[in-house]
Amino acid sequence: MNFEAVIGLEIHVEMQTRSKMFSRAPVTYKALPNSAVVPLDLAHPGTMPVVNEQAVINAIHVCSALHLTIDKTLHFDRKNYFYADLPKGFQITQHRRPIGSEGYLDIPLASGTHRVRIERLHIEEDTAMQHHFGEMSLVDYNRAGIPLMEIVTYPDFQTGEQAASFVETIRQIVSFTRVSSGRLEEGSLRCDVNISVRPIGEKAFGTKVEIKNLNSIANVQRAIEFEMLRQERLLLSGQRVQQETRRFDETKRETILMRVKTDAVDYKYFPEPNLVPIELSEAFIEQAIASRLELASHKRERYLTIFGLSEYDAGLLTKDVDIASYFDRCAALGNSYKLYANWILQDTMSVLNKTQASIVDFPIQPERLVALVALIESGDVSNKQAKELFEKLQTSDAQPRALAESLSMLQISDPVLIQKEIDAILAANPQSIVDFKEGKDRAVGFLIGQMMKKTGGKLNPGLTNKLLLETLKRQ
Amino acid sequence: MKHILDGTLVSIHEALVRQDITPLELTQEALRRAKANDDNAFELLLEADALAFAQTLTTPEPANLLWGIPYALKDNFSTKGIETTAGSDILKGYVPLYDAAVVERLQHAKAILIGKTTLDELAMGGTGMTGHKGVQTNPYDPTHTRQIGGSSSGSAVAVSAGIVPFALGSDTGDSVRKPASYAGLVGFKPTWGRISRYGLFPFAPSLDHVAYFTRSVEDAEILLSVLAGQDQRDATTLTTVFEPSKTLPTSPRLAVLKPVLDSIKNPTILKAFETSIEGLKHAGFTLDVVDFPLTLLQAIYPTYMTISCAEATSNNANLDGIKFGPGYEGKTYQDVMMQARTNGFSELIKRRFVIGSFVLMRENQDVLFLRAQKVRHQIVNALQTIYQTYDGIYLPAAPTVAPLFKNSSDRLSHEYLIADSHLALGNFAGLPSMTIPLGFEGSLPFGVNLMTRAFEDDRCLAMGKTIESVIGLRNLIAPLGAST
Repeated sequence: MNFEAVIGLEIHVEMQTRSKMFSRAPVTYKALPNSAVVPLDLAHPGTMPVVNEQAVINAIHVCSALHLTIDKTLHFDRKNYFYADLPKGFQITQHRRPIGSEGYLDIPLASGTHRVRIERLHIEEDTAMQHHFGEMSLVDYNRAGIPLMEIVTYPDFQTGEQAASFVETIRQIVSFTRVSSGRLEEGSLRCDVNISVRPIGEKAFGTKVEIKNLNSIANVQRAIEFEMLRQERLLLSGQRVQQETRRFDETKRETILMRVKTDAVDYKYFPEPNLVPIELSEAFIEQAIASRLELASHKRERYLTIFGLSEYDAGLLTKDVDIASYFDRCAALGNSYKLYANWILQDTMSVLNKTQASIVDFPIQPERLVALVALIESGDVSNKQAKELFEKLQTSDAQPRALAESLSMLQISDPVLIQKEIDAILAANPQSIVDFKEGKDRAVGFLIGQMMKKTGGKLNPGLTNKLLLETLKRQ
Repeated sequence: MKHILDGTLVSIHEALVRQDITPLELTQEALRRAKANDDNAFELLLEADALAFAQTLTTPEPANLLWGIPYALKDNFSTKGIETTAGSDILKGYVPLYDAAVVERLQHAKAILIGKTTLDELAMGGTGMTGHKGVQTNPYDPTHTRQIGGSSSGSAVAVSAGIVPFALGSDTGDSVRKPASYAGLVGFKPTWGRISRYGLFPFAPSLDHVAYFTRSVEDAEILLSVLAGQDQRDATTLTTVFEPSKTLPTSPRLAVLKPVLDSIKNPTILKAFETSIEGLKHAGFTLDVVDFPLTLLQAIYPTYMTISCAEATSNNANLDGIKFGPGYEGKTYQDVMMQARTNGFSELIKRRFVIGSFVLMRENQDVLFLRAQKVRHQIVNALQTIYQTYDGIYLPAAPTVAPLFKNSSDRLSHEYLIADSHLALGNFAGLPSMTIPLGFEGSLPFGVNLMTRAFEDDRCLAMGKTIESVIGLRNLIAPLGAST
């Protein structure tokens, strides 16, 4: 019997706003535990939620990228349950009226483009972070209240590859719009998978299993592939799939039972009485959409058509928003697009990969990289010298030209100046002209050697060689 | 001889400006009275803080009517550094980290907070009998056998016993306006959103209002000028500015709801009400007895219980023993929460939470919670219809004088259903609503209520002043309270 999987995704995106969803506490990831909190985050009595406007704008950014219909009125609801990481005893979310509904996203696959329908996108708040130490548990409320958006797809995936491509595309959207850092490994992007299998041709869905704790895109794919096999084997051996929640164990590369779902929890949703519905004006929504930063797919297109980069380079540059933005800044300063791409993707990336640093903190920022490339383009430095300069610029604040000068690197590439040197050396060595005419090629090497000696090796060797040959032939 | 403290805000203010008395002396007198009173008005007297602050007030501020005036605050307002328990053991030892918006405003005006007042546990209750400090009694009853009403019971005592000229409370169903009737006071709640609720411990936010007791309508107006205003920390506050009305609306029209009046049997109250109507007609008011759907009035109580309990169970889910309040040992977080909530709440509160959870359950939401929301809408719409013709609704605030403790059972008579619940109309629709003293039965006061259109707080107060002067009861202080 052949089986097919029916897979839907729920993705939580932690937004990188300045303050939290409903409080004024800062959103930070590096602060000491429980230092980025105000009374509201600890649910002190009498504190009241106030909607973070930027979070709403962020949600609209993503809604527009996912072709979702945007609700013109913001509604919030309470989702009530008790848990150690939930300070208020309820989470403020959008249950009845999500800000975005009924859209789609086209994702790239090896076999072509695949359209995934999206059910909804809603705004909510994060819970506190728990740390378990044996018998003891500690709670860090810094995360409590950080804005989240949840994206829910229809069950439009059949394979792990499709799901992974979708998560990657979402990651690009939220990071390129600067809505989120979009890192699964850090939990700023979280993916839950709902998966069931059924015999091909069967109309009814099988029993749904939820997989949580997927901390990389590769693991999304692995977990789905493992789970498909697990469920198929169960069915083939005449057993039933239980409705349960599983997690993915990275080392064993299998999904592991967390808990069996009995009756789904009753969250007793009702409208948040402290937030009256907020009307979003047409102008506000339009402005939010218009201010959305360029998506990766648009950048890629621009790099191909306007900058003439290769598919390969354009693809690499647009994998990471910081790299793309670094490249864009270079492109705004000069037009040696291919060289910028090469220096970023080869030399810069090799340093960043070694140091595990971000290009944002790379000591050579676009202004200096562009200046360095200009020195190469003008022939002032050789490629070899440029590599040396690139090394040195990482530990220096100097401008590339000044540094090259101080290292006596600058080549003489002015044909007039070179011609003067040629004329002088020929005048001093008439025998060399004779030798050249007699076919003794060594004469050329000798003359260039003499000129380099005299100028401290600064003559542009290619140009000097060319001009010398021309001059000799004219004699 | 009357003490300066027995006056209204304006008269006390004038005495302070003339330097007939200092804020310190005024505060000392308020504290003396607070200690002499035996109606159990205070959770906490802030003697040292109040005296220290009063001492700093040496230069009178003629333009600031609240300068140097002592006041009391219901213990469900957050006060930085001052234990606040809302009358519940679940918050024993809880010291807030911040001041409520109204506390900030009064502090800024240099009013002097002398104490936090008792209340029904978590402001849920109407009797002044359920707080963790025991029962509050009515200063008008020397035998201590009668309620002051609740849930803002301690604040009602503090003003009616002459301890302070004003005190803040909260009003979710009638928690200020009902006790005001039993205490011979003006009890006012403005439009929902007029005063920031930031720092008010929530009972049911869609119905909760900051409200207060004064001894005159003018004082209520003065206070609103200080307390009203938009607050970035309470997203439900109104953006419009409150300004006292300079004139009375021309020939105001008031509606008396017939079914409510019909359900009131007390002849003294009815007679005084009739007399006030005659007086108001003389003063240029038009008063009509109008019908109102009886079914909607009968639905007030169940609708109120359904919505308020639902919101309350959610609002108080934060009280779990994990972040603040008394801590309990436990192997799991469930243990900790279970112990905190089992030991911390009284049976009455737990009952409300059970009701609240029940009406929100998936299988019950449609027939209970959502139906209550629909009824609330219908009630609000019916009120709107009245307000198309009338500037206000005028009714006795309560069907009786302060009840005896022994009679305060959960009786479900017709009278109880309607005449004892109708003030909640103002909470359903968030309307300005004011109780004004109407008369006495024997030595016990009772009040009348005016409820006007939303946002028209200025007109409510302006009409209230006329009603007050027509009735002629102003600045009442319980004889016992004043004499101790």
